Amino acid sequence: MGPLFPNGLISGDWNLVIAVFIGIAFGFLLEASGFSSSRNLAGVFYGYNFVVLRVFFTAVIVAMVGLLYFNYFGWLDLSKIFILPTFLPSMIVGGVVMGLGFIIGGFCPGTSFTAIVIGKLDALVFAVGLFIGIFLFAEVFPFIEHFYYSGNLGNVTLTDVTGISASWWAFGFTVIALAAFWASWLIEKKVRKRIKEYKF
Amino acid sequence: MNKVNSNREGTHYLNPYLGGVLMGLLMIATVFISGRELGISGAVKDTVVEAAHVISPAAAKAHPYYGQYIKEGKSPMDTWLVFEVLGVFIGALLSGIIYKRVRKPFVEHGPSISSKKRLVVALIGGILWGFGTRLGRGCTSGAALSGSSTFSFGGVMVMLLIFASAYLFAWLFRKLWT
Amino acid sequence: MNRNYFILTLIMLVLAAGTFFIPKKSMQQQVKPSKLLWEIIQPTRYVSTDQVAKMIIQKDPSLELIDVRSADEYARFSLPNTINIPLDSIVNENSMDYFGIPGTNVVFFSNDAIKADEAWVLTRRLGFNATYVMKGGLNRWIETIIQPKEPAEESPRTAFETYEFRKGAQLYFTGAKVETTTAKKAKVVIRRKKKKVVASGGC
Repeated sequence: MGPLFPNGLISGDWNLVIAVFIGIAFGFLLEASGFSSSRNLAGVFYGYNFVVLRVFFTAVIVAMVGLLYFNYFGWLDLSKIFILPTFLPSMIVGGVVMGLGFIIGGFCPGTSFTAIVIGKLDALVFAVGLFIGIFLFAEVFPFIEHFYYSGNLGNVTLTDVTGISASWWAFGFTVIALAAFWASWLIEKKVRKRIKEYKF
Repeated sequence: MNKVNSNREGTHYLNPYLGGVLMGLLMIATVFISGRELGISGAVKDTVVEAAHVISPAAAKAHPYYGQYIKEGKSPMDTWLVFEVLGVFIGALLSGIIYKRVRKPFVEHGPSISSKKRLVVALIGGILWGFGTRLGRGCTSGAALSGSSTFSFGGVMVMLLIFASAYLFAWLFRKLWT
Repeated sequence: MNRNYFILTLIMLVLAAGTFFIPKKSMQQQVKPSKLLWEIIQPTRYVSTDQVAKMIIQKDPSLELIDVRSADEYARFSLPNTINIPLDSIVNENSMDYFGIPGTNVVFFSNDAIKADEAWVLTRRLGFNATYVMKGGLNRWIETIIQPKEPAEESPRTAFETYEFRKGAQLYFTGAKVETTTAKKAKVVIRRKKKKVVASGGC
């Protein structure tokens, strides 16, 4: 049955209308979970607020396990969904640069947008930075084009690369995430005693 | 739960696990309906491409990076992600209103830095993110969150790298946040 | 509070562990040999030349004829509205687009039924449904549709009805030959599946 759009069960126009509603739900959940505060976000790296870790990994494991069940029940053809392609060197550098941006800027793109609408100027400046960053990237693109496209593995999944089945990955991530949730709870309790001027 | 932040009144958040489960279900729904996943930075890229296209159509079309996103008779912003990001703004506003978090513009910053410094580092962070998302083929939502949940090798790699690198540099920038 | 989280943790673990017990579905789903064997011995995968002729005459939109002979043979003679996919290229990426289109029945044929049978097994193995083989192939087609034999007098009535139909079909396929072949060339509607993956994405 699914995915509906690639299977031609809904038209392209409806797909865009649905995109807006999916965005609304996404934006709502990000904001409601507290992702609109850079201090909440940065907290995960200093041990005083693990909201990012909790929401993020809960979402990942629910989606991973859920997709496997959807595939099993025949509701979703996992071979028809978009798999993010892998370009090894450029994605490794990209990941490191983004991590650095995270600790300096305190936002990631999606969370900065949710913070803008509730009136945070630092998020607005961050978003301006995003545009500048992409513009700069396009400017230097001719010089790094080779690097950008190198190491292309295609749209590969974890199973394609490692040969370990998706169930094992889902289970592994679930165990690690659940362990991290309990650990984070203990860490948070300890660190919060030392932190000043912050409301949880 | 003891010391109070000066610039925020008591504010209520969704239980993180409830938020996470709902977000996971939302991702499944997105895959089920559209066969793709959530994302943010792609829409920003589309906007930049559109801007370049408006300012100088010929140069943008000839440009090795912008050029690949410009197609005849279709605006570069006529994409799924742009519509989704529009929704993100609306959704965040809804949540902000419901939880009474919408306020007059202000700068949120750590206790040890000034507003001005916060704005400067936010700009630097934004630029790094903008650059990084293009290299990484997506941001936390598109590459890390959605990529890993669809078992993409690259997605999981980017997710681990973002967190690892942030933890690695955390000590250097601790003044900004604590 | 802690107890609730403990229960949630357990539920999530059980759900994740549950994925081990669901059968694996690989990207290209293949049919199990035992199931395939069972299907091979079923006569339902054959359609007779009469049925095919009837569908062609009625311009049945669900019919998708695929000629699995070589391109040369195809150029010399084939049935109207036919797509030529030689057997050796049947599992190509390109050929895949012709199979498994919702609402169509693929009918393979060759000179006899052997090549068509092979094509059927290959596509069935790759998990495509609604594929059939024209029984007896083009040889049977000639025997029955193009040069039908009058049944013996003591034959049952149905044999005569079939003969009547074949005579009509013969006229259809041979009588207005010039006209139909030219019309056919213009009319070949080739249906293809839409490309599989929406290749846009990323953040």
